[in-house]
Amino acid sequence: MIVARALTKHYRKTVAVHDLSFEVPPGVVTGFLGPNGSGKSTTMRMIMGLDSPTSGSALVNGRTYAELGWPLREVGALLDAKAFHPGRSAFDHLRYLARANDIPLRRVDEVLEAVGLTSVARQRAGKYSLGMGQRLGIASALLGDPGVLIFDEPVNGLDPEGIRWVRGLLQGLAAEGRTVFVSSHLITEMSMTAQRLVVIGRGKLIAETTVDEFTAQSAGKVVRVVTPNASSFVSALREIGAKVTVDQDGAVVVDGLSSADVGRFAAHRSFTLFELTPIRASLEDAFMELTRDAVEFRADGRPIALAASSGPYREEKS
Amino acid sequence: MTNIAAMESPRSRYTMRHVVRAELTKLTSLRSTIWMLLVTVAGSVVVTILSTNSVTHHDPAWYQGFDPTNQAMGGLVLAVLTVGILGALAATGEYGSGTIRASLAATPRRRLFLAGKAVVVGGIVLVVGEVLTFVCFGVGQAILGSGGAPTASLGQPGVLQALLLSGAFLALLALMGLGLGMLMRHTAGAISAYVAVTFLIPVLLNRLPSNPARFTPVPILANSIAAVVRNPGQVSIGLGMLLMLLYCGTALALAAFSIVGRDA
Repeated sequence: MIVARALTKHYRKTVAVHDLSFEVPPGVVTGFLGPNGSGKSTTMRMIMGLDSPTSGSALVNGRTYAELGWPLREVGALLDAKAFHPGRSAFDHLRYLARANDIPLRRVDEVLEAVGLTSVARQRAGKYSLGMGQRLGIASALLGDPGVLIFDEPVNGLDPEGIRWVRGLLQGLAAEGRTVFVSSHLITEMSMTAQRLVVIGRGKLIAETTVDEFTAQSAGKVVRVVTPNASSFVSALREIGAKVTVDQDGAVVVDGLSSADVGRFAAHRSFTLFELTPIRASLEDAFMELTRDAVEFRADGRPIALAASSGPYREEKS
Repeated sequence: MTNIAAMESPRSRYTMRHVVRAELTKLTSLRSTIWMLLVTVAGSVVVTILSTNSVTHHDPAWYQGFDPTNQAMGGLVLAVLTVGILGALAATGEYGSGTIRASLAATPRRRLFLAGKAVVVGGIVLVVGEVLTFVCFGVGQAILGSGGAPTASLGQPGVLQALLLSGAFLALLALMGLGLGMLMRHTAGAISAYVAVTFLIPVLLNRLPSNPARFTPVPILANSIAAVVRNPGQVSIGLGMLLMLLYCGTALALAAFSIVGRDA
């Protein structure tokens, strides 16, 4: 169980995290979602006691991190892919961590096996690829068999097989009753891994909810209409105050009305419709909607934080 | 998988012993540590060979006031540099690579972490430093003796003390490097600061009246601690050790003050 209470972190003039309160319960994967630069990593570092909050607190199992008797046996964390010395082997890295918390050395071999690094365990970690470094970070997190796990962007640098492996791992850990808190700026990744969501933007809490609720919030409010009289249909809708846009293929997209409302309106004004489709808002749309005002940097009016993953440049891939 | 929760007793927590064992594993698992120690020993012995060989085959009158022990310790000037770098790297290597976050996750009580690191760095350099002073002494006396120069033996008054304290002095220098490394967090900055304190400042102070350079670490080691023949212009052995403890203590105290509360 992780509890953040009014967690706040100010750097000289910038506010990284502001009055952030949330809970991460055991037994489910809780996604920590927000655009890049929204304060996810800072929050996680405060939970780990690495950064000290300006005010507020973060407790793990009811205690601050520094109060934990055997920290690695209570909390396992992957905070960044390169938290190891390039001159030290994976084996030695895990060995020193095991000694620091009196963890039996056979655990080192077990976690190396679990993440698939056994064959390269004696090589200097500086030679590892980003994905192997990520696996070593995951091995460090699992070393003490902890009940609370914190992962900051765990799928970064992993190949598709590795990504699938991490998803299974996180869900497996949660199914064993552990607390699993995993951050991502990729909403699609979260929708496949997490059951609960803590959504932040610009360091502030935007939503603390379940993935299902999150999508349901704005589902079915967008309707796609194809009509031969598009331009007059658009002006008729705008007269009654509806938010209307026209797609590249000429379809009319009505925002904020149900398909039933649009259909009745078209019948009332005697418009011929070829198509009337309610569009279920995706998790991604819900996320964009919620974080619209909370994104740090923008390009062309769209948040660039998400550009690489999805959304705005989706067309390029097809 | 091993069930670790089951073997945990509820009130126990990690102690200095665990920090020291972890730090020992950490330090000895890096090639850079091994290399620095090898360079320290080999380089110092070579400098001692050169410095003792350069004073052989003189007239007996030339050796008036000659200190064979101090001559054999000439190689330690190289060790001053390398043990300081070793100490600094023990800190900056963690910050530079991000290992510090893994280390502090395992050992969140930061002063205990620093203390454990100091015990290991100080301990390793103490052992290597003592071995080094005795090797330099033995090699130096052999060269002096074969070259017709006066020699010293361990039984003579002050010789054993000079060797033991010189080894300990190297350990204090390494700890000063560790303190600077923890404060500065960057390898280049920490090594620059260390070199400034040990080699640059004495050169500058040398030009001032009453020679304040004698109160700085390297002149203390070279002219007071590693000397058997007392030199009137230099600080006493007691004052010299006290000053070095003060320098080292200040660096570590500042590091201890700064490590708590500073974001890692």
